[in-house]
Amino acid sequence: MTGPLRVVVIGYGPVGARFVEESLDAVRTGRMQLTVVGAEVHEAYNRVLIAEYAVDRTHRDAMTITDSAEAVAAGARVLLGVSALRIDRTARRIGLSDGSSIEYDRIVLATGARANVPTLDGVPRFMAHGRHGAQHPERLDLADEQMPTGVTVLRDLADADRIRAAIAAGAGIVILGAGVLGLELALAAAEAGGRVTVVHHGGFPMPRNLDRAGGVTLARALTDAGVTVVAHSRAEAIVQHTSDTGERRFESLVCADGKQIAGELLVLSCGVAARTELAADAALPVAAGIVVDESLASWADASVFAIGDCAVVAARPPEGRGTELPGSAPAGLIGPGWRQASWLAGTMLAELGLAAAPPELAAERSAVVMLKAERIDVVAVGDVSAEPWDDDPSAGDRPRRQIALWADPEHGRYVKMVTRGGVLEGLVCIGMPRTASELTLLFERRAELPADRSVLLRLDGPDPAQVSGGSALDDESTVCLCNGVTAGQIRESARCGSETVAEVSLATRAGTGCGGCKGRIGEVLEHYRTLEAKALPAG
Amino acid sequence: MPGTLAVATHCPYCALQCAMSVSVDGETGVATVAGRDFPTNRGGLCKKGWTAAELLRSPDRIPAPLLRQGDGSFEEVTWSTALDLVAERLRALRSEYGADAVGVFGGGGLTNEKAYQLGKFARIALGTSRIDYNGRFCMSSAAAAGNRAFGIDRGLPFPLTDLDDAETILLLGSNVAETMPPLLSHLAGARAAGGLIVVDPRRTATARQCEDGAGMHVQPAPGTDLALLLGLIHVVIAEGLADAEYVAERTSGFTALARSVSTWWPERSQAATGVPARDIRLLARRLASGGRTFILTGRGVEQHVDGTDTATAAINLALILGLPGRRGSGYGTLTGQGNGQGGREHGQKCDQLPGYRKITDPAARAHVAAVWGVSPESLPLAGLPAVELLASMGQPGGIRALLVHGSNVVVSAPNRSSVVQGLGLLDLLVVCDFFFSETAEHADVILPVTQWTEEEGTMTSLEGRVIRRRIATAAPEGARSELWILRELARRLDAPGVYSDDPREVFDELARASAGGPADYSGIDYELLDSGAEVYWPYPVGSTGTPRLFRNGFAHPDARARIVAVSSRGPVIPGPGQLTLITGRLLEQYQSGNQTRRIAELNDARPEAIAELHPATAGDLGITTGDLVSITNERGEVRVRARLSADIRRDTVFLPFHYADEQSANILTRDATDPISGMPEFKNALVTIRPAARAEVPA
Repeated sequence: MTGPLRVVVIGYGPVGARFVEESLDAVRTGRMQLTVVGAEVHEAYNRVLIAEYAVDRTHRDAMTITDSAEAVAAGARVLLGVSALRIDRTARRIGLSDGSSIEYDRIVLATGARANVPTLDGVPRFMAHGRHGAQHPERLDLADEQMPTGVTVLRDLADADRIRAAIAAGAGIVILGAGVLGLELALAAAEAGGRVTVVHHGGFPMPRNLDRAGGVTLARALTDAGVTVVAHSRAEAIVQHTSDTGERRFESLVCADGKQIAGELLVLSCGVAARTELAADAALPVAAGIVVDESLASWADASVFAIGDCAVVAARPPEGRGTELPGSAPAGLIGPGWRQASWLAGTMLAELGLAAAPPELAAERSAVVMLKAERIDVVAVGDVSAEPWDDDPSAGDRPRRQIALWADPEHGRYVKMVTRGGVLEGLVCIGMPRTASELTLLFERRAELPADRSVLLRLDGPDPAQVSGGSALDDESTVCLCNGVTAGQIRESARCGSETVAEVSLATRAGTGCGGCKGRIGEVLEHYRTLEAKALPAG
Repeated sequence: MPGTLAVATHCPYCALQCAMSVSVDGETGVATVAGRDFPTNRGGLCKKGWTAAELLRSPDRIPAPLLRQGDGSFEEVTWSTALDLVAERLRALRSEYGADAVGVFGGGGLTNEKAYQLGKFARIALGTSRIDYNGRFCMSSAAAAGNRAFGIDRGLPFPLTDLDDAETILLLGSNVAETMPPLLSHLAGARAAGGLIVVDPRRTATARQCEDGAGMHVQPAPGTDLALLLGLIHVVIAEGLADAEYVAERTSGFTALARSVSTWWPERSQAATGVPARDIRLLARRLASGGRTFILTGRGVEQHVDGTDTATAAINLALILGLPGRRGSGYGTLTGQGNGQGGREHGQKCDQLPGYRKITDPAARAHVAAVWGVSPESLPLAGLPAVELLASMGQPGGIRALLVHGSNVVVSAPNRSSVVQGLGLLDLLVVCDFFFSETAEHADVILPVTQWTEEEGTMTSLEGRVIRRRIATAAPEGARSELWILRELARRLDAPGVYSDDPREVFDELARASAGGPADYSGIDYELLDSGAEVYWPYPVGSTGTPRLFRNGFAHPDARARIVAVSSRGPVIPGPGQLTLITGRLLEQYQSGNQTRRIAELNDARPEAIAELHPATAGDLGITTGDLVSITNERGEVRVRARLSADIRRDTVFLPFHYADEQSANILTRDATDPISGMPEFKNALVTIRPAARAEVPA
């Protein structure tokens, strides 16, 4: 290659930042000329923590994820507060909002996603696609300004600040949507003392992640945590009122059945949509995200890549077999995006001869969803709709799908394990944190479950030492750790005449190390004497 | 007792160095030990300590120098024959292959004097850079992390008794209840405060100390400690629990740390470790609750390819909580071997000169060369860390001779078969030991040395306190001190410099050589030590020592501790049918077992290695307690009996590493090493287990 490889990263969120971080070795050697275009003016932050930030459980500094100074020091160009407006794929040139343009050999699109705004009377909505949006992509992300006062999504820091202020003011908060983010906010806000109502149209919360039994278990837990849950309610409109100062504010959410749910702040938590306008405008295939193949390259242009929430990965159809776009959606979770970023950076480093080529990017399995909350433990992944006695017509030559479950609604516990060949394909675990963490690990590692699945449930039981009962006095139980002396040996010593702890120590060395067991030696002696006393009459 | 004389000394085994008195019956000549009051052990001893005198009357003592014969047997020879032969072979190999063809392998059980003299002997008598020691397998990761963060590495930078008043102690990867049980008395305060937190994939005897409201046992998957620590640091920073004033005044690097852990929220940590997110939050809050808090690491978290980074993460956690250098709080690593502390300070390490000086530092070279009476240019540069040193045996450009002191690498080094193979390729293997170790079996020459109560010297315990080892019994006629052996070899090699065989003289020279270095012993002499003074290094001339480091700053030019952001790549993950093997120690055995396996009372309690695995795992494999099992991977096979216990994670199997031959856990361990410290990956090997067919049961 003659000059350095010119790479332009568009989007400087967590995923774009990861790509930049892992490419810096190539930048330092001068083999890669890296430009980063980020629309926001400040360092990127970890969006996963946004609900916690909204309830003041964490602070801005702790969320920072990028180090543009390091990237700049390595030789990268970092353009913050600048948007990419269009991609000219013929000229290999990107037009920027500051009027300039940059040439590229490779583009990495990491434009992420924006919060969905549902159709509600009274709330303006913006078309995500189409010429208008593409020519003014920046407008799509300025929805806040057009939102009625008292209505917000939860995606960025400004949204979180609005919510934080509302909680501090003791406002009633209505959350539309019962997905993970909405529930995390609801629980955190309730804990922070907020009055929270969650409105959703399904029968139970987290319907994309849970089965019905799990959903009902969660709904009860939410209620117990002080969150009002309004199910089976399709929101249709908002009612606003005009204050004395002439300001129009949110007053209530109106549902299809006529019900009105009043509050001071409406949070729209209805999922996210990939930011694809730039790609669509450049005539790249776009479905639920920018369509890329297994090497993360656009189906239509091998020099354009997409990673993270803006991308949907699907095998390219064979030549001449049409171009039916994939129906799948981006994962919406950070893990897959990071893996893609690392892999893509690794591939480019390898191409530049700076590293060994990484192994093929493994197809993402469904990602584990964990509700971040203090008092409710919910972990779910995969398709968990099947029930224990269901048939598995799809099995074919594979082992049959198997379901094991444990339900204890009274105590808010529910576990469903969906396995094939002993390996988890899906799971729900509610109210059992240790079981949940173990199942998570087993799923992530594709490890085989024990044949006796109930072993896993016992992790949330009492400590085995307490279960085995009275073990402290068993013959085999070690009393003196320092000298490995068992209760049985102490009793034997008592039988041979030791009457005091000191005499036991002399005979067995028990108690002659750290001395921490002297009390227990006394207990064993006492127990022995009690048994002796009982034994005497019989003798 | 009439006719007995009690000598005040310390236990021959671990770094706690329990004080004991050794009495020898005037009539029978039989030595007995008793605990002696001392701040660390308070008069107590563990089973190993109580039975230590048995070592002195073991029939297995090597009676005289042994020379391997053509038929493989060993023949007793005189000392002069043996030493002449060794010196002549060393000369010949050096002239044929160069000075670096001779390697030296030391040990963390050697006295300060021997460790020092061995380093000097290697550098100026042999002229080789190829010296390292078994402490590489113990303390190197924590040492590297401590040096990087604090500018100095003293295992506990405070007296052990400081732990007594702790309200919270986070113990990461250490089973002190078995490895140094008298230490438990120092955990009593934290237990009473409900604040003993033990992180271990096994519910060990130490983890059980957390039961009944005394604290919390955290049971992550092996090799995921770093991810756990990153999660804890995340919570501390995210929830604003860091000690901002301390961080601002006493550290550097916080911003990069905060950025690096912003991606480690507790649920992500949970997915990597198997530790519930809520436990991670609770734990972080407890650590940050403002009480007297200590964070301690052990080999469980350090013996990994990311061991230095894991210890660094533990230090980072301590630093953002404002613990190091604050009275009643701190970070420390629990040194393992008897002189694991002193042994890593005075020149056994491949990159180091006495006083914990860097061998690459021109000023350090000049100072030490002056003490040794040689030119700085004549000192070799840095050599190879232990695993690389052993891997170079018999290889082109590698070592062709090896002198082994106080170490049993056949049992203690990772990937046993490659070590054994390497030993076989050597032209000369000289082993100094008092017992016929598994390594000695491969030797060309075995030189019997004095032990414990047969020698004077000093040790530096896990708290950085220099203590005296004293003669209580006469050495067997055939045994010699290593100081004498090194003197005799140096003389035969016409080496420059002085090699005294008087420990006191050697110590005085060590003190001079260490002057001005991080581990400065220059103000210490035997008289001071014998006065009963509490002597903690650094102890420069004119000072009264340093019981507590970091009170007024850290050992970097700007006095600030370095917070070094580290990242986790995660461990190798077991595939279908595989388990993760972890290794560790038992109460009744010590290190390679070369001593303890010869003591009936200890060995009868633990006569064989037993694999511990979870009943559910065992059930699925068709294994029950007492079954002989075969544990295999690409490096070899271990055959031991199984014991089922719900105390271990289902994905993990535990083997003690004290045993030899087909029970040797290190047949299976990997010799991959930490890129910074050279520490091998002892605590994470993938294995498969199956019942060994009955027909295969050895008679």
